[in-house]
Amino acid sequence: MKKHNLCKAVTVLSFSLALTLGASFLAMADEKAIYRTLDEIKESGVINIGVFSDKYPFGYVDENGDYQGYDVYFAERIGADLGVEINYVSTEAANRVEYLETGKVDIILANFTVTADRAEKVDFALPYMNVALGVVSPEGRVIESLEDLGEKDRMIVISGTTAEIYLTENNPEVRLQKYDTYANAKNALENGNGVAWANDNTEVIAFAIQNPGYVVGIPELGSQDTIAPAVTKGNESLLSWLNDEIVSLGEENFFHADYEATLLEIYGADYEDTLVVEGGKTAE
Amino acid sequence: MNFEVIREYLPLYQEAAVLTVKLGVLGIIFALLIGLACALVQYYKVPVIRRIVAAYIEISRNTPLMIQLFFIYYGLPKIGIRTSPEVCGVAGLAFLGGSYMAEAFRSGLNSVEAIQTESAFSLGMNRVQAFFYVILPQAAATSMPPVVANVIFLLKETSIFSAVSLMDLMFTAKDLMGIYHDTTECLFLLVVFYLIILLPVSILGSLLERRLRYAGFGA
Repeated sequence: MKKHNLCKAVTVLSFSLALTLGASFLAMADEKAIYRTLDEIKESGVINIGVFSDKYPFGYVDENGDYQGYDVYFAERIGADLGVEINYVSTEAANRVEYLETGKVDIILANFTVTADRAEKVDFALPYMNVALGVVSPEGRVIESLEDLGEKDRMIVISGTTAEIYLTENNPEVRLQKYDTYANAKNALENGNGVAWANDNTEVIAFAIQNPGYVVGIPELGSQDTIAPAVTKGNESLLSWLNDEIVSLGEENFFHADYEATLLEIYGADYEDTLVVEGGKTAE
Repeated sequence: MNFEVIREYLPLYQEAAVLTVKLGVLGIIFALLIGLACALVQYYKVPVIRRIVAAYIEISRNTPLMIQLFFIYYGLPKIGIRTSPEVCGVAGLAFLGGSYMAEAFRSGLNSVEAIQTESAFSLGMNRVQAFFYVILPQAAATSMPPVVANVIFLLKETSIFSAVSLMDLMFTAKDLMGIYHDTTECLFLLVVFYLIILLPVSILGSLLERRLRYAGFGA
């Protein structure tokens, strides 16, 4: 009986391994054909755009169930200029690369910060926003530098964000408490599951403005980065269309209009020029 | 498939596997205890408590673990009860598993014919003796398959612990994919590690089931 069971186990194990291996090789072989070209998108009449559904005010779902925010405003324009319907696909931070690699979406417009690592996996178009990291903490104990963190203190981050990557690589001594969604991370900060929350500074500033009792103790951490749309690696027709689109939108100051429609209310006019990147041209 | 990457990730997965097993096993132990207590309450039809148990079972079985974890982790602190993610994970598993185990034990207890108890009494056993020497052994045999199934189910349910920021296997895989994007390697390791944890349980379970297959005698 024992032998029989062992046999069964070995069979099951090898079968499952074969299945995983097979699936992964299949995925590799298929990699080239995974994205849809510009023409294929136009022909189908629908473009799939990955956005956040819980990152206010950049990509979120309003009380009517509609997608809204700075990213979505841009997405709407892309749909209009391509003459296709938009199918919004809600994404988590950690899924963004996979969604492109598996062809679940044509474009990721989910406040995606350009990094060298990510650029190896996906193709970024021209940027449309500036960003740095920031840290927000409760008034009672404001974290003004990473040195303020005690040995037992935990820093809340969202899995798959640049804040997580930055702290993992540059400050491995900081103990991270990781969450999978924006909603959960905010809840955790309010409940005191961590002493502070590190994320894009745009996000933490918005949080502090919306929630009395919280202060952005570290407004800038690490380097200035940019945020850009991303397409599946190799999807050149869509990438070059996006780049042309961003340049031509710059002529009508589209992203300033976007800011005024979606962000002005929260950040005020002071941040407009720091945040907005027009026509894909950054200050540096 | 890049084996260099796999070697690099192995320690992280090991750490996650230890957490998964540790919290899983603790949760399952509590689930078994809760389940047994609830099943006994129902079997002996303890007044009042019986109703409470019935309500608990319905609530626990008809809400997803995700919701239960959210409630414990994000909800309770609002009324001043704060727990660590680990405690929350174990509590969630115990809460969910308790009802499933209760049902498994109850089906076992109910499968023991009344004549068995009556015979035990006529042999001069008291209630406690009748329970431990006659009812429980037979009930355990019948309960074994669903209990093993529940154990495997609960171990797999740990995969949503990411909702409360526990770095279990699933969250570790997702997290690494989010940072370094080695999707194939991460998913491969994930499958392998779950199999390493679950296959022995399933084999041990079927061995145990066979060992205990003496119920039904004389039924």
